Amino acid sequence: MGEYVSVFVQTLLAVALAPALTGFICWLKARLQGRWGAPAWQPYFELRKLFAKELVVSQTASWLFQVAPFVAFGTSVVVASLVPLVFVPMASDRTGDLFAAVYLLLLGTFFLALAGLDTGSPFGGMGSSREMTVVALTEPTVALSVFALALTAGSTNFGEIALRTLAQPESVLGPAHVFGFTALFIVTLAETGRLPIDNPSTHLELTMIHEAMVLEYSGPYLALIEWASSLKLFIFLALAANLFVPWGIARTLAPLALLGGLAALVLKLLILAVAVAVLETRVAKLRLFRVPELLSASFVLALLAVMSTFFVR
Amino acid sequence: MDGVFAQLIVLGASGMLLTGLIVLWRRGVPAYITAYRWQSWLLSGLTAAVGYLGHEPQLYWIAALLFLLKGIALPLLMSATERRFGTHRELRPYVNTEVSLLIGGVLVLFAYVLTRPWMAVTELPTRGGLPIAMALLFISLFIIVSRKKAITQVIGFLMLENAVALLAVVGTYGVPLLVELGVFLDALMGFLVMQIFIYDIHETFETIDVEQLARLKH
Repeated sequence: MGEYVSVFVQTLLAVALAPALTGFICWLKARLQGRWGAPAWQPYFELRKLFAKELVVSQTASWLFQVAPFVAFGTSVVVASLVPLVFVPMASDRTGDLFAAVYLLLLGTFFLALAGLDTGSPFGGMGSSREMTVVALTEPTVALSVFALALTAGSTNFGEIALRTLAQPESVLGPAHVFGFTALFIVTLAETGRLPIDNPSTHLELTMIHEAMVLEYSGPYLALIEWASSLKLFIFLALAANLFVPWGIARTLAPLALLGGLAALVLKLLILAVAVAVLETRVAKLRLFRVPELLSASFVLALLAVMSTFFVR
Repeated sequence: MDGVFAQLIVLGASGMLLTGLIVLWRRGVPAYITAYRWQSWLLSGLTAAVGYLGHEPQLYWIAALLFLLKGIALPLLMSATERRFGTHRELRPYVNTEVSLLIGGVLVLFAYVLTRPWMAVTELPTRGGLPIAMALLFISLFIIVSRKKAITQVIGFLMLENAVALLAVVGTYGVPLLVELGVFLDALMGFLVMQIFIYDIHETFETIDVEQLARLKH
């Protein structure tokens, strides 16, 4: 019973902390570019503002348009409850594993793409088409980099994978780990709409991907979508951190261990957030037609990771 | 401790393979030269690590030589060539980037399948590097046949030479110093000869795009 309570608390924590992570990346980017930047907790104010606003829905929109934000947010929350954040093994490990998490996240993206098409506005359709192109290319990479880990651990269960890495610390230096991590990081950038694939701060019609897709949304729906996408970034980064470098994660439910796990999680997320911010300051957005090159590079990396575990055992 | 070293060596070999893939991915000669420099540094570090693992002090000398010749001298020479001909604009390969990368992946797969029997009989702690060295060999060959600029083909050739050295280091803990020296000199001579070729091609055709050589037929 205690386990389920902790999973619940952990999920709430992820949902509560996710906007701060996005805000922190924005703030750090601003500082790196020589601007003051809004504080890291700015996204909370924005969410409050959006929730207080009036809901405007296009007359041509069907029920799909109204359902999509809830699906996107709901799937993100469910995945947050499946991913090991502060401690392993979790009670929910028995119901969800890598495949469940990855495809639940995709379900949210799928519904957002449908909603983008639903209103019939040209920008929404364009955004959906681009998002689907990117997702179709990242999909094999996600599956493969996940396979690489699952093959080493002999299980697709998050807890098993993390525990196996903890038991064999030298395997972190293996190509499966390093390439898998790099591939997953590139995919994270693509899936969460960061540079160099998509620019999260742009509203220039020609370059938008994710923003074009959700252009029709306003008010509370937009707030849900924004929250879901920052939660998605949080989940992907936490997944990369805890599966590939699981040290510091709590293995019992003792309060001290949990506190240590939380501190380790925050530290790892901060490091990854700094990496994302520095990368976004250094690189320019890729032309849309060069995105497949980057994604096929990440695919080949994931393929290498799988091969190095599959053939060398 | 040996387990960690073996992992490090496999990781270094994978890094070398990665630099080969970077040549397939990036456009522009400066990026290729940087990739080659990194690859040579990795090769030199790997050779020293294998020397430590196998208690073969002469590998340290080879590592130092590799670093000086391939890690510093050859990249500098290549940069000079590149500056002289100003070839750093985008290269248009015969096969586009995505397909090149996918072919690279298939070549790596092929290398893994090909070295399976070898992996089964060898007991070396560094055996994880064997398929990777083989894969780098194939990828270098692919670079040579799929790129148009002579200087890129030279880089492919040099990477091929690196792959052979890697194969010798992880497969047999290095060959005797004398043989290694001979191979170095061969590579250096080969490089110098190719540089003269590039120079002559440039003199005659005003470009180092080897497609232009088809004009020789008329």
